[in-house]
Amino acid sequence: MGAAGSKLEKALGDQFPEGERYFGLENFGNTCYCNSVLQALYFCVPFREQLLQYYTSTKSPSDADENLLTCLADLFSQICSQKKKTGVIAPKRFVQRVKKENELFRSYMHQLNFERNNLRVSHVQDAHEFLNFLLNELVEILEKESRAIKSSPETSSSEKSVNGPINGLANGTKIEPLVTWVHKNFQGILTNETRCLRCETVTARDETFLDLSLDIEQNSSITSCLKNFSSTETLNARTNFSVTSVAGFVLSHLSNLQEAQKRMKIKKPPHILVIHLKRFKYIEQLSRYKKLSYRVVFPLELKLSNTMEDADSEYTLFAVVVHVGSGPNHGHYVSLVKSHNHWLFFDDENVEMVDESAMQTFFGSSQEYTSNTDHGYILFYESVSTIGTS
Amino acid sequence: MIHSSGNGMMSSSAASSSVGNSQSPGLKTYFKTPEGRYKLHFEKTHPAGLLHYAHGKAVTQVTLAQLKEKPAQLPPTPTGSSSAGGVRSAAARLLGGGNGSRALSFVGGNGASKAVAGSSRIGSMGVSSSSGSALCSNYDGKGTFLIFNVGDTVFISDFNSQDKDPIKSIHFSNSNPVCHAFDADAKDGHDLLIGLNSGDVYSVSLRQQLQDVGKKLVGAQHYNRDGSVNSSRCTSVAWVLEGDGAFVVTHADGNLYVYEKGKDGTGDSSFPVIKDQTQFSVAHARSSKSNPVSRWHICQGSINSISFSADGAYIATVGRDGYLRVFDYSKEQLICGVKSYYGALLCCAWSMDGKYILTGGEDDLVQVWSMDERKVVAWGEGHNSWVSGVSFDPFWSSPTSEGDVESVMYRFGSVGQDTQLLLWDLVMDELVVPLRRPSGGSPTFSTGSQSAHWDTLTPVGTLQPAPSMRDVPKLSPLVAHRVHNEPLSDLIFTQESVLTACREGHIKIWMRPAHCENQSSSSENVLSNSLKEKPLLSSKVGSYKQ
Repeated sequence: MGAAGSKLEKALGDQFPEGERYFGLENFGNTCYCNSVLQALYFCVPFREQLLQYYTSTKSPSDADENLLTCLADLFSQICSQKKKTGVIAPKRFVQRVKKENELFRSYMHQLNFERNNLRVSHVQDAHEFLNFLLNELVEILEKESRAIKSSPETSSSEKSVNGPINGLANGTKIEPLVTWVHKNFQGILTNETRCLRCETVTARDETFLDLSLDIEQNSSITSCLKNFSSTETLNARTNFSVTSVAGFVLSHLSNLQEAQKRMKIKKPPHILVIHLKRFKYIEQLSRYKKLSYRVVFPLELKLSNTMEDADSEYTLFAVVVHVGSGPNHGHYVSLVKSHNHWLFFDDENVEMVDESAMQTFFGSSQEYTSNTDHGYILFYESVSTIGTS
Repeated sequence: MIHSSGNGMMSSSAASSSVGNSQSPGLKTYFKTPEGRYKLHFEKTHPAGLLHYAHGKAVTQVTLAQLKEKPAQLPPTPTGSSSAGGVRSAAARLLGGGNGSRALSFVGGNGASKAVAGSSRIGSMGVSSSSGSALCSNYDGKGTFLIFNVGDTVFISDFNSQDKDPIKSIHFSNSNPVCHAFDADAKDGHDLLIGLNSGDVYSVSLRQQLQDVGKKLVGAQHYNRDGSVNSSRCTSVAWVLEGDGAFVVTHADGNLYVYEKGKDGTGDSSFPVIKDQTQFSVAHARSSKSNPVSRWHICQGSINSISFSADGAYIATVGRDGYLRVFDYSKEQLICGVKSYYGALLCCAWSMDGKYILTGGEDDLVQVWSMDERKVVAWGEGHNSWVSGVSFDPFWSSPTSEGDVESVMYRFGSVGQDTQLLLWDLVMDELVVPLRRPSGGSPTFSTGSQSAHWDTLTPVGTLQPAPSMRDVPKLSPLVAHRVHNEPLSDLIFTQESVLTACREGHIKIWMRPAHCENQSSSSENVLSNSLKEKPLLSSKVGSYKQ
């Protein structure tokens, strides 16, 4: 442990960033899904800073009610207050808490992914499901706290601390559904437009998202996957059912085998754009999931052009959660994280420096059968406009 | 906003790529264009079952090399200016066509008539394998060859033979070869440059390699030995046109070096520390004896590709930082540049007249930069992944271009990591380009006047930010064809064909429509049958004799 740390310190030399800590996370048996996501979130600097600020502002009174948020904040503050610059930390309390919530987690996932029907009996958890669960859980806790504060009489000043200290957006506190600092980092808005081809009625419905799950194709790029995501899709009678259920409206004649066009547009791009590549595909004939090892290239910089906003919003890649393994039921998760212009490779306890060009080894393979099983699975992009301000 | 035809393109090509996901790829052996069918003619590859460990480590690049007859057999060569006008214009078109080194290497074989000095240099350097040259001493040394790298090997194939396998392989034991360039007009025999992953560079005589039976480089001059000058990866090499044996090497750390062929770097070859990594700076060697003679620090991060303009006056570079930069080579001065829409740029190429530069990169776009207007005049949308190779087609003659300078049409091609070859037409009239100034009337590139007139537009050396999506006219491809099962890496136009290469070292040669018709109608039969049939093109130059 000490040796690994000093090796990284040696590699960074006097370029070791002031005040930064690079700590591996101990694996408690199949908790790499958790570790890889935690590293990505830790090095999501605005998220980390706001979590720590929240932690210091609400620490004292309710120490007793431990929840996922306090456990995460506790872990992050533990890492950043280490005397040593590198080393290993055991995220024990956090993982125990996650396991405690595990039942809830599973039932929650059950609701969310009704098509999956709990078919997976594996002990390896899905990193994306975990991230989704964690962020939603944090939001719920913050909302609960906010409601609790609101219900008590002397409030208006302390409401601000719930919403996070950075209230650059002046209207942040005035929006009816509570916008927490988790939302401010990760939430974007999609507009789901459906045009009935007979009556030309366009129905638009906004949906919020914390991440985008993209279908992938062999030998494609993230740019192309995003285009496919928002491209116009013509729905015939057979798929009309899903239109009505997804978009949440019913045109009376849609049941009469009419065609409709559907498209998704990003109305409000998030500050942190999380892209999930749908590498696990359910194969009906096999009644199981198959991993798609497709080569999907992801650039270090990205722009969303097909948005409703005038300017093209620009992003830079800062973390990649990588799934290692040939199938969904066995495997490992690692992560690549950019910190102070260096890329670091986190594999549970181990932390190494890697060259930026190593990214291409995680794109996937053009061949069906391949020895390379390390594939980019969740990509974290940060909006360039927010980098300077945080 | 993306216009509708672009979207249509995306969805149709998406459909085609999903077809390819099935086990049997079903790649077609032809593709249709308005001028006719391009048919798969030959395939070239490396011996089967090779080098899977090298997967993804070194991307295959292709250099086309035309060896003329042995100098001794040539009649005294007239100077370039005394040759017929037709020859010169053909040479100019050839030159502009490819990306830098490839274009330069091709021109010599096609009538640009520079005197080739004797190969005394080889002798003086001590040929390492005398037995090899003795064995093949009757080798007539004429022909067109494909030089391509796969893993730790450089392969040489006879371009005009239908034999799939290479005729020669050269192994490198220390590091992988990653880039190469050929100059048919090279004096003193060394005409081939090879750059390595380790940063090392070699110059050799191609003819001498072909004469040798061994699997090692012979008679090589070694530069940047063990990375003594720069230990980062070579990213491209190119001969300087009429540079008297000068060549440039670019590296993954953003530096470009100018070397002089055959010069032993005995002097101090260290250069001052780069003060600002983000700024362009040129440093000259402290000693006149040292090689390299100068270092250009161009950008932060890798220089991914370079291309000399047809007249050799300008050099374009693209790199990791997403900028296209254009330099006046002899003045060592940054002229202009622009940022990609986003992400790194991976390839670049000049038009034959020096008016346009194509770039391709990680934003999936093919970008057309106008030197006259100093702006991006078009974005080509059609690739579903990164664009890895671009080139104007120098042999394309527009049916409408007769005497009408304003509607000159350019044909260009691009290859991408989506495994597709795309062909494009650029008709300036169709693009909405505000503030067009009358062009000089002559399509020929004139260095002095053009340069002076550029300077009035924007201050020299201004790098422009990325244009926004709304401001750039979009192009849709004429043809989109899935070529290989692997991501593509390179593209070359020749008079008769289009060459495509994939990253893993498979090359396909597509015959142009006119040439398909001229030949017997059996080319499809040839393909469907074995490639080991009798030679189809007996009349072609340079059939290789052993």
